[in-house]
Amino acid sequence: MTPRELAGRIAAWWRRNELARELDDELEDHVRLLARDLEHDGMSPAEALAAARRQVGNVTRLREESRDAWGIPALETVIQDLRYAFRGLRRSPAFTATVIITLALGIGANTTMFAVIDRLMFRPFPLLRAPAEVHRVYLQTTYRGSRNANPVFPFLRYTDLLDATHTIAAVAAHTEWRFAVGDGDASTPRKVVGVTPSFFEFFDTPAALGRYFFATEDAAPAGVPVAVVSHRFWSTELQGANVIGQRLKVGVVDYTIVGVAPRDFVGVTDGAPPDVFVPLSTIPANLGAWSQESFRRDYSWDWVQMIVRRKPGVSAEAVSDELTRAYIQSRAAARALNPRVLPDSLVQPVAVAGPVKLAAGPDAGAESRVLLWVTGVAGIVLLIACANVANLMFARMIRRRREITVRLALGVGRRRLVAQFLTEALLLAMLGGGAGVTVAQWGGAAIRSMLLPEGTPFNLATDWRTLGVSFACAATAALLTALGPAFAAARTDLAATLKAGAREGTVQRTRTREVLVIAQGALSVVLLVGAGLFVRSFIHARSVPLGYDARPVIEVVADFRGYAMDSAKAVVVRRTLLADVQSIPGVVAAARVNSRLFGTNTAQLRVEGIDSVETLGRFNFQIATQDYFRVMQTRVLRGRAFTDADRDGQPLVAVVSDAMARALWPGRDPLGQCMHIGLGATPSAATAACTTVIGVAENTAQQNLTDDPRFMYYLPVDQVVPHQLSTMYVRMSQPDARGELERVRRAVTRAMPGDGFAVVRPLQEVVDNQSQSWRLGATLFVTFGGLALVVAIVGLYGVVSYSVTQRMHELGVRVALGARSRDVVRLVVVQGVRPVFLAVGIGLVIAWAVAPRVQSLLFRQSAVDAALYAGVGVTMLVAALLASAIPAARAVRADPSVALRSD
Amino acid sequence: MPESPRLLAGTLDLLILKTLSLGPMHGYGVAQHIHRLSNDALRIEEGSLYPALRRMQVKGWVASETKRTPTGREARYYRLTAAGRRQLEEEEEVFKQSVAITARVLRGSES
Repeated sequence: MTPRELAGRIAAWWRRNELARELDDELEDHVRLLARDLEHDGMSPAEALAAARRQVGNVTRLREESRDAWGIPALETVIQDLRYAFRGLRRSPAFTATVIITLALGIGANTTMFAVIDRLMFRPFPLLRAPAEVHRVYLQTTYRGSRNANPVFPFLRYTDLLDATHTIAAVAAHTEWRFAVGDGDASTPRKVVGVTPSFFEFFDTPAALGRYFFATEDAAPAGVPVAVVSHRFWSTELQGANVIGQRLKVGVVDYTIVGVAPRDFVGVTDGAPPDVFVPLSTIPANLGAWSQESFRRDYSWDWVQMIVRRKPGVSAEAVSDELTRAYIQSRAAARALNPRVLPDSLVQPVAVAGPVKLAAGPDAGAESRVLLWVTGVAGIVLLIACANVANLMFARMIRRRREITVRLALGVGRRRLVAQFLTEALLLAMLGGGAGVTVAQWGGAAIRSMLLPEGTPFNLATDWRTLGVSFACAATAALLTALGPAFAAARTDLAATLKAGAREGTVQRTRTREVLVIAQGALSVVLLVGAGLFVRSFIHARSVPLGYDARPVIEVVADFRGYAMDSAKAVVVRRTLLADVQSIPGVVAAARVNSRLFGTNTAQLRVEGIDSVETLGRFNFQIATQDYFRVMQTRVLRGRAFTDADRDGQPLVAVVSDAMARALWPGRDPLGQCMHIGLGATPSAATAACTTVIGVAENTAQQNLTDDPRFMYYLPVDQVVPHQLSTMYVRMSQPDARGELERVRRAVTRAMPGDGFAVVRPLQEVVDNQSQSWRLGATLFVTFGGLALVVAIVGLYGVVSYSVTQRMHELGVRVALGARSRDVVRLVVVQGVRPVFLAVGIGLVIAWAVAPRVQSLLFRQSAVDAALYAGVGVTMLVAALLASAIPAARAVRADPSVALRSD
Repeated sequence: MPESPRLLAGTLDLLILKTLSLGPMHGYGVAQHIHRLSNDALRIEEGSLYPALRRMQVKGWVASETKRTPTGREARYYRLTAAGRRQLEEEEEVFKQSVAITARVLRGSES
């Protein structure tokens, strides 16, 4: 279309009514002139006029076709079709509401899931320049068949990896911590990120205020304490003032603010955005003298993450290859310092230039994989919703067949008819999409809070990526739902339909609808099987005997914040603090502990009579004060727990787990046995003194929830590290500690010397995290599977109910011929349940084929569990039975007299 | 009535443009003119004529105005614009060429 033509069309469109009138006049003229000429040829005036009209033909059609020439016909048609669709939908509010709600659920599910996995896995970090070229480095080892990819490694390893320069254009390191920021009472724990000055060069935007770091500010030995604060921290906590040069206390160090990061800048941190950025080398100053001295000269401590930018034209594989070579050299260097570094042949070390997003990387846990599955599930829910809506549209199309036929007869083009159907479907889908986004924003909150790290920004109204996906879902839904009915409508056989009554010509379409019901049913069955598998995994995980009761326990981490103590004073301060905590009202007992749950430690262990204890499995230790067993409600089965009397200088004692006792001293009395533990002052078990077993405790799940043997031993703090351990487990009298968190936090903070403060969390949270992936799978599969079931059953109900309406006459005749209620019911119910039998069969076969692929995500649950499959099948059939029973009840009332009279 | 021969695709515009090059005319006149000139062999259907005129109008080849007919009635007269004249020359050329080529091919296949 030339610009001139477009202008002409637009001009004509403005005058379209006038033009239409002119055309009518012109045609009238034409008829008149033609009639006049025919009259000249000898026809009577009436004959001539009739002949002229016949010749000019279908004026409506002619008008329609001429109209194509003016305006932008497509646009005009669309507007007309939209108006038509609106009118149609307003006339059938029940249909409209059902379709919109169905689509809203389907689109809402997909919007929620996309918004979540996009944030976790795909969306580039804000302001990151050319994100496709940037990678996070993961160091991967495979030991005894289990692969471990770690994005966090020692600083020295990072500097070793800098040798890889051929494929890499830029490199930066960063490290995330939580430190108290601010002074005195105003100080709160905040996310602080240590970065190399090169880190900021990965991003596009200059500092909003001031500058970023100079290379000299990150130089050895300890950098310069300068800080860049986040835009949010600056505007909310610092009132957006000119803060350059101001002092900011981070942890125990006074920093000078030199810059404010641009708005939305989060570095490459997921979840809650960081508040303060400082030079990487200044971080160890907050972690104690030991880390400050060691971080540049040994490989003992994983704390640095690394991002790299590829050189142009270099593949990620090439980067990984070069990094791997540097990694292997670095391991050799580490082995020179510490011969215990395992040989490369045993662990197959590989460096991977992987996704910047941790959840998409090789280190991602089962949660990520569950999420991808559930996203697929959301897609299936949408398919089911579409099948259901297509079904409704078929029904609507059949109801409107006469209207459609009449319109076809009056000259409406079939293409136009299809376009109208599509417009209507698109309108419905967009309404459904809008409702779906609302569902996702408000209703998806529960799902989101479970999936996204706390503090992740979430507002769909400004989230164009997600809105785009919702829109695409809606458009796809429109196509899927409208095409079938539209073409069926366009294929309508004019003559046959006009002649036929309402009862004929429906069998074929009911079959199409039955196919849709079968598809929905089968997909629902698949989802329900998935729901069953995850629910049972979750139940199994929750029913693992733990050997402790975490629900009333609060984990308290005391941060002394640089309060100067020598070890003698530290012993006193920590003892006093524990005593103070125990006197807080509502506290039943409290203990200082070394290892957190599911973060256990091991030490060298030697037992006489056993060559190598390590071959029996992993032996974890816990160091704690005397009340530990009371706090955790772990029963001491034999002997005794330690007491205040088990102090430094007294004979060394230990409590061991039942499983450990049986493994080390099978058939013998473990009490009084002797262990040599390489720990604390004597790191080698060979020279360690004898630690005597004084008690046997029940087995506890502290390492993981799996079937690994629960080898665990407990040592009294005062005999190992009397001046250490700042983590306390506090048991409350309330059965659920969550309501007591804040009170305890305040009380402990008040009890602490200097600027110290406490960080608390419910211990149950730590336990729950262990079964998080199954909880996720269970919740989401049940939600979506339930949705699918409801939608499918409503669809079935619609088909059966419609068919009963159609067959009322036939049923009436049957009753007149002597059919009893029972026969009628059976007739209807069988018709409803038969396709569901097929659906259950198909669905179970699909589930059986697909389920083994999620086996690794399940817990003590076979993916092909016959009982579960049978249960799902029965559920589906019962639901189908109920859905058919209601129309059947109506069918029973078929009145033979009505049927007979109508013929 | 014997069926009128099918028009080659695209020739309708050419015929209308040619007719209008003789002077302003109303729609009925255009149809009659073509009918007469073809010795009653071609009859332009109203269903094609008016949409074609509208199309050409939008493209700017044809302009229209309301004029009084010799019999004293108001009627819509179409006339060729400068662009229409250029289009006519172009289409005439294309048509002649394609007829010549088609004819040559047909001759070739017969010999």
